[in-house]
Amino acid sequence: MTTIPDTRPPAQVATQRPEYPAPKYRSILGGDRSQMLFWATIVVLALLVLAPVVPTLYQSVMDRPLYEEGGLFTLENYTRLFTEAGFGSVAVNTILFAVMTTVMTLLIAVPMAIVVIRTNIPGRKFFGAAMQWPFFISSLILGFGWITMYGPAGFVSVQVRRILGFLPWDLYTLPGMALTEAVALAPIAYIFCANALRNSDASLEGAAQTVGAGPFRILWSVIIPMLRPPIVYSSVLVFSMSIETLSIPLLYGQPVDITVFATFLYKNGLQSIDPDYGILGAASVIILLVTVLLVAVQAKLLKDAKRFVSVRGKATRPRLLDLGWIKWLAVAFITIYVVIGALVPILGLVMRSFTKIFTPLQNPLASLTMANYQRIFEFPAYVGSIRNSLIVAGVGAILVSVLAVVAVVVSKRSTFRYRKVIEYLALAPQAMPGLIIGIGLFWAFAFMPFNTGSLLQGTVWAIIIGFGLRALPSAFGSISPAVMQIGEELDNAARVNGADWLKMFLRILVKLLTPAFVAAMVLTFVVMMKEYSPAIFLGSADTAVIGTTMLELWVQGNTGSVAALATIQIAITAVFVGVAGLLMKGKKDA
Amino acid sequence: MPDVAVKNLRKDFGGVTVLHEVSFTIKDGEFFTLLGPSGCGKSTTLSCLAGLEQPTSGSIAVGETVLVDDSSNKFVPPEERNLGMVFQSYALWPHMTLAENLAMPLNIRKISKTEQKTLIHDALDKVGLAHLSHRYPHQLSGGQQQRVALARALVYSPKVLLLDEPLSNLDAKLREQARVWLKRLQSELGITTVYVTHDQEEALAMSDRIAVMSNGHMLQVAPPHEIYERPATAEVAAFIGRSNFIDGTVVSARGGAAIVRLEESGETINVAVSEQAAAGDLVTVAFRPEKVFLTNRGAEVPADAIVLNADIMTTSYVGSRYAYDLKYGSKTILVDSTTGGLTGAVRLVVPAEAGRLYPRANVVSKDVAELMAVTH
Repeated sequence: MTTIPDTRPPAQVATQRPEYPAPKYRSILGGDRSQMLFWATIVVLALLVLAPVVPTLYQSVMDRPLYEEGGLFTLENYTRLFTEAGFGSVAVNTILFAVMTTVMTLLIAVPMAIVVIRTNIPGRKFFGAAMQWPFFISSLILGFGWITMYGPAGFVSVQVRRILGFLPWDLYTLPGMALTEAVALAPIAYIFCANALRNSDASLEGAAQTVGAGPFRILWSVIIPMLRPPIVYSSVLVFSMSIETLSIPLLYGQPVDITVFATFLYKNGLQSIDPDYGILGAASVIILLVTVLLVAVQAKLLKDAKRFVSVRGKATRPRLLDLGWIKWLAVAFITIYVVIGALVPILGLVMRSFTKIFTPLQNPLASLTMANYQRIFEFPAYVGSIRNSLIVAGVGAILVSVLAVVAVVVSKRSTFRYRKVIEYLALAPQAMPGLIIGIGLFWAFAFMPFNTGSLLQGTVWAIIIGFGLRALPSAFGSISPAVMQIGEELDNAARVNGADWLKMFLRILVKLLTPAFVAAMVLTFVVMMKEYSPAIFLGSADTAVIGTTMLELWVQGNTGSVAALATIQIAITAVFVGVAGLLMKGKKDA
Repeated sequence: MPDVAVKNLRKDFGGVTVLHEVSFTIKDGEFFTLLGPSGCGKSTTLSCLAGLEQPTSGSIAVGETVLVDDSSNKFVPPEERNLGMVFQSYALWPHMTLAENLAMPLNIRKISKTEQKTLIHDALDKVGLAHLSHRYPHQLSGGQQQRVALARALVYSPKVLLLDEPLSNLDAKLREQARVWLKRLQSELGITTVYVTHDQEEALAMSDRIAVMSNGHMLQVAPPHEIYERPATAEVAAFIGRSNFIDGTVVSARGGAAIVRLEESGETINVAVSEQAAAGDLVTVAFRPEKVFLTNRGAEVPADAIVLNADIMTTSYVGSRYAYDLKYGSKTILVDSTTGGLTGAVRLVVPAEAGRLYPRANVVSKDVAELMAVTH
């Protein structure tokens, strides 16, 4: 306990106190400099978010491409979309795909969350960590891996056909697509369920035990009902993600002509010799409407879910349930998911990158080669795509994180009248599929006055803007909790002490937010490294990124080089995250 | 140091009025306390003074300087008000040492490094922490952090010191000592101080004047002694210290006295009144447990005292005194006494100056009222 010191300053102190007047802050154009920053933030965000949306809306009701003179208003695009273009069957495919993906995702994720978090199976820590893997690997690479192993001519498929005489599965179908997508998205649903299980109040289960309930009774009557909010929320999330996804439908669906929303845009916008921009615009608008609606539902659900999660101040550590012999079933189930779903395809892809021919018919070790890598490093365009990916992810990570920090702080910690709008704008790209961002920005650049768009079109900056927009919501989401954790009285103290809002932000919040900023940068780097879909429309021959180059090589049938590029991308991500982790740890210890 | 003048201060939050046209003036060098339960508007008032909240209407001035005036649309932001403030959580910046915390307002005011050094040393010395100036806030105890926060608020000699429940996070023993120390420091500095608290004892012990607030209204502004002895309303009487409340109806009123018939017993009593009262008014008679005494039935009592016949139900010994629960009709009356061992039927004597008459008000919470109802 502290003792109060006997301090008795001389009595005349009161009369001698000198004056240190408060500082005066100059105002610019009738607003102080903090206000200027607020307005700048909202203008930048609004421009970024509206740039792809407005031209898309406009194009959808114009009878010719935006860059041609004399366009007339028409609704014909929408009617032609469903009659000529066959958008109706595309919508049916998309919904089937999304529903199957959602169901399979939940079947994988929910039991896994319960078993890993709440029971005493061996290797819980390892399995928990294994669920982080898709964060590092794009679904494009996962798709390549699956085809390499389980596709019609895949390594595993050939072996199975040799043994059984036939292949009991076909990857190139809607269920096949959905299964791969579910493997990729399961960790997202897992994280929501796992968090809910971790936060649950142990005394509820204690109460069930005192009235004589065994472990299965507790699971069934206490734990599973508690999971309803995260299950509902993650279903909507997974559903909306599978509606906009391009990678797996493109890889699996194209050869057998199964078209969903994203592949429809890809085909009509990129592969046709004379793209019908009207139809492209109308399709984009309809897809946007669907995704915006789904994101709105998500936001509503998340708000409601928060209401009935009761997080107590005291952390109660729930006791782990003992499932007896069933736990071995659970371990087997999780191992199958991790090994067959992720490990085998990725290792297969890496193996493929080092071999000439990858098939069980011939020992792969006999045809070891570096030729796949050589080909990549021989062609400047391929090396260029690696360099571009690094530049885009590196520069983008810094720019996006800076924008995200400013947006979070203005929206959470200022008295700016439109601070809520800033938050909505920063989160809005969640509802914008990558392809549509690409198409929309492409039109926006074509539409910019005085031909200024041509300065951006096809440059690496166009790609940074497109990818950055996609990464902004996750950067915002990762910084936001850190800001909420800093007591508002720290801001207020700085203000009363004489700092205006901007000075308070620079002197207090920026310092306190540095760790969150670094974490957001790492996250953004990884997200932008994996991203590729906006670049399909925004890139030029000089500005391809790893993802688009992989697609190009895949179309050429150059699977060995695809595998090599995929391996390089995984390695870059792993090295970056590893180094960043070490640096951050070192900082913390110091 | 100048007066603080607050006029017709009003604050609405999304259609809900949390401050209703509050006006008060704080004299130069005064220790002025805003006292009330949580949600009464005291913290909002302080935030308006600091500039952290913009009032919906009204004006605030410190001396000649107008800080807020809705008629001329003037609002001085917090950074230009030159006030000192201590926050409930102390709000020390965790990434800066104590010296750096104190240097921040001085840097902003562009004071030379050498002068800063003396000012920081003096301020930390005043709170007895000069030897810890290179520590970080998390290396200090709660009490020390609270003193650093005070030093930071004083280091640039602000015009007015604002304190937002600065002692509420200290443990009980330390709080009592800190109270005395803070009061002494304030009177030595002679700085005009606005203090916000929900702790009535703290308010009574430290303040020159107290403003009692409830639901965004200021109920009474007066020195501590007057607040306790002559509460302006039944709410003040209920909130400050303990009081018994008995409902009744005025039978007749003349001059400075009224005859009141009590609902519980039908007895009539004679009560001194300060305000107007008319026959038929519904009223509440209030008196404090320690201002009354008990006698046997039939004993002599002062002629102008209020006398009630009641029965003792329970006695509790609480160390410094005996606490009696008396049954009066269906009500429980609390009486403090230094004599123990009283039982049975007694006379409760309320000296004339101890009984107060208020318009009928429901000031006792439902939970308390249910516990106090005599059911047997």
